[in-house]
Amino acid sequence: MDRKTFKTSETVDFVVVGSGASGGIMARELSRAGFSVVVMEQGPRMQPEDFEHDELKYRHLSGITNSPEANPQTFRHAPDEKAVRLGGRNPLTYARIVGGSSAHFNANFWRLHEIDFIEGSRFGSIPGASLVDWPITYAELEPYYTKVEWEVGVSGLAGASPFDPWRSKPYPMPPLPVKSSGVLFERGARKLGLHPFPAPMAIASVPFKNRPPCVQCGLCGGFGCEVMAKSSSVWTVIPEAEATGNCEIRPDSYVFRIGMDKAGRATGVHYFDKTRVEQFQNARAVVVCANGSETPKLLLNSENSLFPQGLANSSGAVGRYLMFNKGGGAMARFEHPLNEYKGANVTRVLHDFYDSDPRRGFYGGGGFDARSGGPLTWGQSVPKGTPAWGQGFKDYLESYTYWMNCAGHGTSLAQENNRVDIDPELKDAWGVPAMRVTYKDHPDDVKHAEWQVERAVEIMDAAGAREIVRGEVGEASGGVHLLGTCRMGNDPKSSVIDKYHRTHDVRNLFLCDGSSMVTSGRGQPTQTIEALAFRAADFITRFAKAGEI
Amino acid sequence: MDCTTPSRRSFLAAVGNLASAGWIALNWPQIALAADHAGHIHHADADVPPATLKTLSAAEAADVDAIANQIVPGGATPGARDARAIHFIDNALGTFFAAQLPAFRKGLGEFQAAYAAQHGADKPFAAAADAEQVAWLQQVDRTPFFTAVRRLTVLGLIALPKYGGNHDNLGWKLLGVEDNHVWSPPFGYYDRDYPGFEPYPGTKPYTA
Repeated sequence: MDRKTFKTSETVDFVVVGSGASGGIMARELSRAGFSVVVMEQGPRMQPEDFEHDELKYRHLSGITNSPEANPQTFRHAPDEKAVRLGGRNPLTYARIVGGSSAHFNANFWRLHEIDFIEGSRFGSIPGASLVDWPITYAELEPYYTKVEWEVGVSGLAGASPFDPWRSKPYPMPPLPVKSSGVLFERGARKLGLHPFPAPMAIASVPFKNRPPCVQCGLCGGFGCEVMAKSSSVWTVIPEAEATGNCEIRPDSYVFRIGMDKAGRATGVHYFDKTRVEQFQNARAVVVCANGSETPKLLLNSENSLFPQGLANSSGAVGRYLMFNKGGGAMARFEHPLNEYKGANVTRVLHDFYDSDPRRGFYGGGGFDARSGGPLTWGQSVPKGTPAWGQGFKDYLESYTYWMNCAGHGTSLAQENNRVDIDPELKDAWGVPAMRVTYKDHPDDVKHAEWQVERAVEIMDAAGAREIVRGEVGEASGGVHLLGTCRMGNDPKSSVIDKYHRTHDVRNLFLCDGSSMVTSGRGQPTQTIEALAFRAADFITRFAKAGEI
Repeated sequence: MDCTTPSRRSFLAAVGNLASAGWIALNWPQIALAADHAGHIHHADADVPPATLKTLSAAEAADVDAIANQIVPGGATPGARDARAIHFIDNALGTFFAAQLPAFRKGLGEFQAAYAAQHGADKPFAAAADAEQVAWLQQVDRTPFFTAVRRLTVLGLIALPKYGGNHDNLGWKLLGVEDNHVWSPPFGYYDRDYPGFEPYPGTKPYTA
């Protein structure tokens, strides 16, 4: 297929910054509506045959993610500390390829529940936190959740969980086959009176929209899917956007500044091309879908005389309220081999503890799943009491196929001091000021994670585990779910974007990704990010056609 | 690579360009086969594992290999030496972990000097008996150098053979990991006889 290209001198209708979960959808929807679109992606475009099952490269050498060398960040726990680089790793990790983090995610697709949108009014003020309602409700987002499931492709069993929010349609594909970890998790949880159910996953379980089903290779999280069964933007909406003839995906293009005119309107984006030569793409409007760390970084690096505190930052909220998804769990060893390296990572989930319960004495809720990890990462650490070398360590290595994880995924409270901003000294490999991360867990997040560890131990014990290793709940120093840093809201004094994802300050600048989220949800944000993208694209299209951009 | 099958690159390109539900169904065995070649088979000549040591000196490599072989000892089942973890370590320190080489070499020098101070300069660690090596490592196993060797040893045991270690897939065999990348149920012992998902009272699961 001949792919459409635009000259930088052409003024396209939209530049979309980022080609991931939200950027891909934004590109497809806007280009299908007839608008000209250029999508800027920092990383390269990989073909299916380029993806390898190389755990060292992908999970230890930043093969497709931001790297500590080229894209360095600094970290501190509190604003009065000097931020420093963490040895050999970045605090915030995301994929830098066409498809963004949707290319390397685990593909757990949980909808938010109705409660997620109204916890501010339900629970009131929590000291040290900014727990507020979303400006939209579950009912407003539900049609777009359904659209994600049917357009992008999600497998699952509707109505299986008594705790599921209402839905307008079932999943388009049946659940993936259960693994031994799912069977054991289900066995233990049912014994305790809980309600595990087949995991909703953005992985094809049967042929879907010209993509083959999962081959159960077992390497989802951190890896691209070479058979295109994982519903990543690069295999789903991006080809559909290109098929319109209105959309160009421009890989290896690092946007570092949004161009602005004297009237306070965005004029396009400054970026470095593949050869690190600075370019400028003209556009009538800009939609930033760069993820919860790169989006605020771009806005803050785009400061000018009209916007001295950074673009769209009159509220001071750009970069603030950073949230991850804190959780606690346990690892368990069973009598017979589970072979968790085979099969999609997660096959059973439970949401019995989704809602926060004031009787526990702290805020927090979440879900649990049964999951696995690759052998290379697993072998790097040993449980407390297990020898780290010698015959005892070797015995532990030989037990790899007998283990599973019961993982808890939970809430992180929004806090004003937890933020992404710009490091005053550090620059990246392009000379662009690098991001500085400030983060400290809220005490309730820690209490909830510790509470989750207890529940995970109970589930694994009920499942008949021979040995259980309690997860350690440490102080967070980074994450992969990058949420809340340009939160949506009705009040321009306390939020960055309105409920249609338009920035309060710049009429033709829109933001849509994890940064838009007001609360953290319970751990699997991608389906919500994609639903927000479908919804935002709907409104942006309406505004553009009405001449209101 | 088995050349009787379509090349992985050309076949997956075909998946991307031509796929339809019918085409997928018709070609499913080949799709699975192509996926099977995703990681464990060498993609190109550049993926052929290094056969010689290029970064560490022979004396350095001998001591590091000896340490690695105490971290994951051989015996009835393969150890780090059998899996040629030292080839991975040498390759890593010469390429993607080259930035760590100076600190590694400094640590190794200190390790050798301390051992020589106690046992004599003419008796390298690598030549010592197992019991003596273990006794010495118990004294130094909290040093950054030992931690680095341990990390590299485990990586060398389990990473793809193209990096130099995991020779003949011995690391995976030790862990019980089969060299295959397409699986179908049952995956393990406990999902063999799973009776199917039983709905909860009051729920009505439904499908498309």
